[in-house]
Amino acid sequence: MAKTILVIDDSASLRQVVRMALVGAGYEVIEAGDGKAALAMLDGRQVNMAVCDVNMPVMNGIEFVKAAKALPGYKFMPILMLTTESQEEMKEKGRAAGAKAWMVKPFSPSQLVNAVSKLCV
Amino acid sequence: MPSTHAHHPPHHAAQALVELCAGILPVWERQLAASRAQAEVAVGQMLKAFADIGPHIDMAERQSRQISDALSPSDGGIVGLADACEARLSPLIADASLPASSRDAVNQVLAMVRNAVHALQSISQPFEHETQMVAQQVEHMYTGFQYQDRINQMMALLEADMARLRSALTNPAAEVPQIDRWMAQLESQYAMAEQRDNHMEARARESGGPKEAEFF
Repeated sequence: MAKTILVIDDSASLRQVVRMALVGAGYEVIEAGDGKAALAMLDGRQVNMAVCDVNMPVMNGIEFVKAAKALPGYKFMPILMLTTESQEEMKEKGRAAGAKAWMVKPFSPSQLVNAVSKLCV
Repeated sequence: MPSTHAHHPPHHAAQALVELCAGILPVWERQLAASRAQAEVAVGQMLKAFADIGPHIDMAERQSRQISDALSPSDGGIVGLADACEARLSPLIADASLPASSRDAVNQVLAMVRNAVHALQSISQPFEHETQMVAQQVEHMYTGFQYQDRINQMMALLEADMARLRSALTNPAAEVPQIDRWMAQLESQYAMAEQRDNHMEARARESGGPKEAEFF
């Protein structure tokens, strides 16, 4: 059974690039345009991993990570931050919130698939 | 010859400049918003086209691998079978009691098999090379599409800052913003190293291309 990855990014085109990379590697992808919409999708369904942007309207990626980690059933869901943000200070915030990895855009699809396969075991 | 420019006292000139900026800024904001929207549509359409051809490229790559596997020198591969035929038939060819006509027939059959194998290899190897090249270029294109997201973020921030400036210009009752505080607020919203470098008038760093994920 294909593993499900929740992709959270306010850019529709970016979500599409991530979707194409992950679907091509055999994953099932569900999408949300911001952290709040993504949280609403964590309603008990099986989500094996999240790939999340940082700077988003409504609820940013760091807030999402903190909120998702507080949800029963999703505490151990690995989260990869996928963002244009490369400052160490922001990475530290992501790590402190509970993210498992940080990847800077633009990414190469094969590198993304490689990172996802390492985290989504 | 008299100047055609209007001469204002300094206070009136400043007021005229404020009015000029207040009039121009919304136009710039709308143009930036329209540019962002068009870039998003353009990339969306290109991605949709790629989404349609992507499975075909994947299939060509899979088929290329299947053909290479079928031709492999290992057991069950066509090259392996040809080698096995040659190995099994070589003692027969070496047998001095075998009539010359039979030896010629066996050699001819082996030559035909070798020619067929070479013909298949001459098709499969360029096919494999081409499909790998296409797949690599598609990967580069997917990376390239993401620059639209960076441009979008940079332009959105400028748009928001223009709106902030317009608001400051058209609200005379409010305190005139201090440039240091203004700049600090703008800088705090940057996400990319290039934005920070440009802000400081430093030579903007290139994004440096895709990097591996950093695991915590």
